[in-house]
Amino acid sequence: MKRLVTGAGGFLGRALVEKLLARPGADLRCLVRSEVQADRLRALALAYPAAQLEVVTGNLLARDDVARAVDGVDVVYHLAASLKGSPADIFLNTVVASNRLLDALAGPPRTIVMVSSLGVYGTAALGHNAVLDEATPLEPHPERRDVYSHAKWRQEKLFRDRCAHDGHRLVILRPGVIYGPGGAPISARVGLNLFGVFLHLGGNNVIPLTHVENCADAIVAASEHPDAVGQAFNVIDDDLPTSRRYLSRYRRDVAPLRTLWIPYGAMQALSRTVEWYHRYSRGQLPAVFTRYKTATLWKGTRFDNGKLKRIGWSPRISTRDGLRASFAWLREAKSA
Amino acid sequence: MRPLKIAIVGCGKIADAHVEEVGKIAGAHVAAVCDRELLMAEQLAVRYGVKSHYHDFAQLLAEIRPDVVHITTPPQSHLALALQSLDAGSHVYIEKPFAMTRAESARIVEQATRVGRLVTVGHSFAFDPLTIALRQMRDDGFLGDVVHVESHLGYNLSGAFGAALMGDRSHWVHGLPGKLFHNNIDHVLHKIEDFIPEDAPRIVARATRRLPAGFGDERDDLMDELRVMLEGSTATAFATFSSHAVPVRHFARVWGTRNTVTADYVTRVLAVEQGEKYPSAIGRLLPAFAQAREYRRGGWKNVRRFMRSEFQFFSGMNELFRRFYQSINDGGTPPIAYGRILRIAGWMDDIFAQVESGLKSREGVR
Repeated sequence: MKRLVTGAGGFLGRALVEKLLARPGADLRCLVRSEVQADRLRALALAYPAAQLEVVTGNLLARDDVARAVDGVDVVYHLAASLKGSPADIFLNTVVASNRLLDALAGPPRTIVMVSSLGVYGTAALGHNAVLDEATPLEPHPERRDVYSHAKWRQEKLFRDRCAHDGHRLVILRPGVIYGPGGAPISARVGLNLFGVFLHLGGNNVIPLTHVENCADAIVAASEHPDAVGQAFNVIDDDLPTSRRYLSRYRRDVAPLRTLWIPYGAMQALSRTVEWYHRYSRGQLPAVFTRYKTATLWKGTRFDNGKLKRIGWSPRISTRDGLRASFAWLREAKSA
Repeated sequence: MRPLKIAIVGCGKIADAHVEEVGKIAGAHVAAVCDRELLMAEQLAVRYGVKSHYHDFAQLLAEIRPDVVHITTPPQSHLALALQSLDAGSHVYIEKPFAMTRAESARIVEQATRVGRLVTVGHSFAFDPLTIALRQMRDDGFLGDVVHVESHLGYNLSGAFGAALMGDRSHWVHGLPGKLFHNNIDHVLHKIEDFIPEDAPRIVARATRRLPAGFGDERDDLMDELRVMLEGSTATAFATFSSHAVPVRHFARVWGTRNTVTADYVTRVLAVEQGEKYPSAIGRLLPAFAQAREYRRGGWKNVRRFMRSEFQFFSGMNELFRRFYQSINDGGTPPIAYGRILRIAGWMDDIFAQVESGLKSREGVR
């Protein structure tokens, strides 16, 4: 069975590729953007001599590249998405690129595993300390969210609509914050740096972490379980830390950080002021914070991973061990 | 102002700025957006609450009948879309570069003149408060006779746009005659044209690449450093474009027989260059403080503009939109003379031809 991984050169992509290479009879094709990424994957495959690995360098926006990538594949793991750039770039490389992939997949039905995001849920409408699970309604106002969440929402809708039409077997994974050695240091759910001071916005909110290895395990498990087809699964580990706990461990284990905690109520007031000034000044400063975004991220949502566990997944790497390794890597990266 | 219905075709990065700036102008509103990728048109419409979005431009023209079409597509499609818009009775604003060549530019101008509609080009920095003030200094005689102009634009290849074009061998920039320069040097040249308005100054252009090659495709052909010398009948100019110099700078410096002035588009300050006024070591001590005073004054002026919400990133674009719409309503002349659009297009043809032949001759030497 030939499997294709898009976005194989990314943080999660490399972890997934390694999982798939380790499986008996692995026959894998990876689509990456650059030769540097391709070489990295080829080096990874040296440890799995029995596995078949083919690396295609190309761009999902180029129809020829996509046609080469999907030729003869039975299962597609679609991880490619744009995390940064202008709103148009993020949409182009996430949503339009997905549409190109689906165009190329027209024909016999395949299994498509699409990696989405927890950002697709309508979290702002939930009450304080509400539990978010797969039954939570999807975001009714994606345009009021950050552009990445909006693009992932639209990407997911595109996959649902087109797979229903074309008969593909679709499985959706919605990871939280993917972390691990080699990953990003601090999620925006914890806070952000502003002029040299770290604004701690998460407080006692739980950070929906998933270790990159656990997330890759979840993708493989969902792609191979017969009951997973047509379903969506949240990917979140157990024993999640609060933002406060995460930040204090980061400061202890990685680097000191000047922080300023802004409680939720104050953050809502600040967001209201930022929105007002954005309107008053005719966009002189961007509305970085809005009440809607603030409610989405820092209202105190809790997270449930029961559905994924019911198809046999469990986090192999505990949050404690995962954070320890991740912070050790960050500390080394900072001192390098 | 008579209400104007605006349509935007091309829903990439710069289209966001167009929607936002149109929204700040009383009497103008974006009625529809269009992109050949319907999903791109949809995202722009959804994010900004635009009522209609299309992927078929002919359908948009027929159904919306816009007063003005803003063309924000890659330059390869500017000619066809401009002619289509003009034939449908719309006035046309075209993002820079106006077209692929001077010949294409001339066709758009001729068609606009023939059908009695106006066109303009997105030389937004020509309407930036700094440039307007600089031109005023020229008109007031403050500069004296202009001897030389230096116009520089820095570019961050690691930025969002740079990363997009270097990450995609089929990116439209790789298909332009002047590639990366083609999409940017309007901003360098129109500041020179303010002071050397000549159709055929002597032009010497040279391009190099500092970025290591290794993609094995079109991206290896992209030059990233450009130096141009222009020699007019009364003044000379240097145009420089750099993708590697740090920090990324953007300025125009005009040397006159009475004064030399720098319009610094990064610090947003218009500073008169200070020379020695007094003899001896004292005379050499004071100019640095006088120069610092120029920047301090400029900084405080910016603070006052910020307090009045006038310190906007796209203030030049906004001013150009306003003047263009005003000229449409008044039946007057557009804010950028057609002769000027064609002149700059001609300069660009010349520069890109020299860059191309320079590369070929260097390859020949190898």
